[in-house]
Amino acid sequence: MQIKVEEKNGIKVCSAEGDIDINSSPQVKKAFDKLVQARSEKVVINLQKVAYIDSSGLATLVEILKNFKNAGGKLKLCSLSNKVKSLFEITKLEKLFDIKDSEDEALQTF
Amino acid sequence: MIPTEKITKKLDIPSDIGYIKKVSREILAHLQRLKVDKSIQFDIRLSFEEALRNAIEHGNDYKKDLSVAVAYEVDAESIEIEIEDQGRGFDVKKVADPRDEENIMKESGRGVFLIYKLMDKVRYNKKGNKIIMSKSLKNVSGGQDAD
Repeated sequence: MQIKVEEKNGIKVCSAEGDIDINSSPQVKKAFDKLVQARSEKVVINLQKVAYIDSSGLATLVEILKNFKNAGGKLKLCSLSNKVKSLFEITKLEKLFDIKDSEDEALQTF
Repeated sequence: MIPTEKITKKLDIPSDIGYIKKVSREILAHLQRLKVDKSIQFDIRLSFEEALRNAIEHGNDYKKDLSVAVAYEVDAESIEIEIEDQGRGFDVKKVADPRDEENIMKESGRGVFLIYKLMDKVRYNKKGNKIIMSKSLKNVSGGQDAD
């Protein structure tokens, strides 16, 4: 799992690559804890290169969302594959997260 | 040419989550040889990995002297997987719906729910320490409610 962080128009864009599962979840959480601690207010997680997420990965994203909200930040997800998106729909997490089809759309809607 | 013979395998796996990917990759290799749709491969991988993790974590409580029995049978038509831990078992009917408002923000409780949604048939033995799940490899529909 790799997470590349870039800043675009004052928004942190985090592009994840690899599986978000029980093995990589601690690493993913740690990366986003750093952004919460740095008081990043606007964050986009680009999941275009994430082909697989398990329940640990979903749980980690929920935890990250909670941490950003508690710190007064805003988080959006973008570019989910059809299968990953279907997990958000099945579990109704699509209601909890602000999910956009593309990175441009996520950036433009802050 | 797609293999037509039935493959049956039984394994005893130590209660160590490091083994999950190893066995999962083995099952996926069979599915790839059978040229199973990637969407179906995803559903089977996720269901298998969730069920095995539950067996190791909640069933055997990571106890190294306990193992998990995994058996699977796969042919060009379908796959059936059995996973049995050595724990006390649980009542699947008591698993809360992770979609409910009081549970949606919780960080756990989605594994069993996803298995029921992604596999065609899922059942537990009476004790609740063995899951038997199956899926057709020929279509993308499926899923059943946990209750």
